[in-house]
Amino acid sequence: MEYLIHIAILISIYAILGLSLNLIVGFTGLLSVTQAAFYGIGAYTTAILLTSTGMNFFLAMIIGTIITAVCSLAIGFVLSKFRDDYYALGSFGFNVIIFSIFMNWQSLTRGPLGIPGIPRPSLFGFTFSENIWFLVLSTVLLILIYLVCRFIANSSFGRVLKAIREDEEAISAFGYRTLWYKLSIFVIGAVMASIAGSLFASYITFVDPSSFALTESIFILAMIILGGLANNKGAVIGAACLILLPEILRFVGFPDDVAAQMRQVSYGVILIFLMLYRPQGLVGEYRL
Amino acid sequence: MDILPQLILNSIIAGAIYATIALGFNLIYGTAKFFDLGYGALMAVGGYSVFYFYKTLGLDLYLSILIGILITGTIGLLVYKLVYSPLRKRKSSGMVLLVAALGVLTALQAIVAILFTSQFQTLSKSAGLEKVFNILGGVITQTQLVTLAIGLVIMVTIGLVFKYTLFGKAVKAIGDDEEVSKIVGINTEKIIGWVFFIGSAIGGLAGILIGLDTGIEPAMGMSLLLKGVIACIIGGIGNVYGGVIGAFLLAFIENFGIWHISGEWKDAIAFAVLILFLLFRPHGILKK
Repeated sequence: MEYLIHIAILISIYAILGLSLNLIVGFTGLLSVTQAAFYGIGAYTTAILLTSTGMNFFLAMIIGTIITAVCSLAIGFVLSKFRDDYYALGSFGFNVIIFSIFMNWQSLTRGPLGIPGIPRPSLFGFTFSENIWFLVLSTVLLILIYLVCRFIANSSFGRVLKAIREDEEAISAFGYRTLWYKLSIFVIGAVMASIAGSLFASYITFVDPSSFALTESIFILAMIILGGLANNKGAVIGAACLILLPEILRFVGFPDDVAAQMRQVSYGVILIFLMLYRPQGLVGEYRL
Repeated sequence: MDILPQLILNSIIAGAIYATIALGFNLIYGTAKFFDLGYGALMAVGGYSVFYFYKTLGLDLYLSILIGILITGTIGLLVYKLVYSPLRKRKSSGMVLLVAALGVLTALQAIVAILFTSQFQTLSKSAGLEKVFNILGGVITQTQLVTLAIGLVIMVTIGLVFKYTLFGKAVKAIGDDEEVSKIVGINTEKIIGWVFFIGSAIGGLAGILIGLDTGIEPAMGMSLLLKGVIACIIGGIGNVYGGVIGAFLLAFIENFGIWHISGEWKDAIAFAVLILFLLFRPHGILKK
């Protein structure tokens, strides 16, 4: 049971990440591979504030989103100068740079040693120390974020985003300032990822840079491509599939280190097959 | 030992390695026009092939290197035939190819890790006993000198082949306009296949040289590949000499950048250079 709750919590955290990246890649067509950086900023802010000042989790989470918003605004502005493959490549770069900061700003992040002993969240004297209560918390946040994403998708704002994806020049000819739309959605997506990071840090109670490397961004991308781009349900389904897959591999009985690599092989093969045979993913409404 | 000459020598050695990587990558990009990230994993394939034939089976070093290069080239060709070629025939966008290539990279790397474990391995049997040369107060090993020489030989060879042979001219023509090349009777499919074979083989050779100099691990390709891509972009993508100039420039900036700060920042510096170039000089130093 405890094991199932653990898996469910991971799925809810990754579903938030998937939803956040789907806004950027799926709805707006910006192939960003830097989501793990914002996820990491949220996680590290929470970890540092909670362990050094004993601040309330929710306050730390909000501070995390503010820091992420500022960083992502700057990064999004630089990235907005690029298109297509160059956009992806530039976003690789920011992920590597932020990863290096986690790794090397040792006085703040303790570098590769990581930050242990992060407390679980508490609200009005109630502590979410049991996993089942943490699952409730993460599910509530997931539902809130899902509703926000659905609202964005159905709003006029969301329609402009889709128009940018289909033909940016045409929509700017109608007088829309596409830069502002692209920047806003990039920041909104980053802020959601930062919330997922806060949850992750306080659930695992430990953060280290390796959780926020470029491969993690690729993993999140694989998730939403599998589920289907520009579809909020797809992002959640993709997260569930890719979190459950390695657990199944574990039950097949591979030794642990081989299982970890088998997982990577399957992600890679899934990406290749999707591109070859079903570029829109399981329930996607947009193909790259 | 003075630090300045050693820094210069280190930059030249790193430059030679990046240049070799960039040459293979540039050849593929210049012809097929997409970012073949799978190239990164091929470096590890080359390194580990030599590890297997030379250290495990005990074959002659030069024979092992030859086999390693052939294996890498063949795998590069196979990946092209099975993955990229069908996608290109369908006129898939650069982003689809990029995601598929990401899949190839992830899967190949993990397969290498399953076959050989993810431990760090050295290729040379005489680690630490190598002949060392003193130049201007700095130290350079024999392997590093050979690496430098090979990098230069490959550059000159590719330059000459492009200029004087029919094959080189066909490759250049495909790079300029694939459709028209087909119309004038160039067998584009076959030529691009050869380009993938040769480019991948160069990547494998780069991996082998790195293995002989320092060592190999399955995940080595990612960061090396990105360095090669950065070198190509700052030098001028699709241009043989541009990639080499970019490689040496990048190596000098990296090595002098960490003169006063920790070496861990190298990757961040490299990407900062990339982003600056993309912003202010997107065509690189040498325009094609």
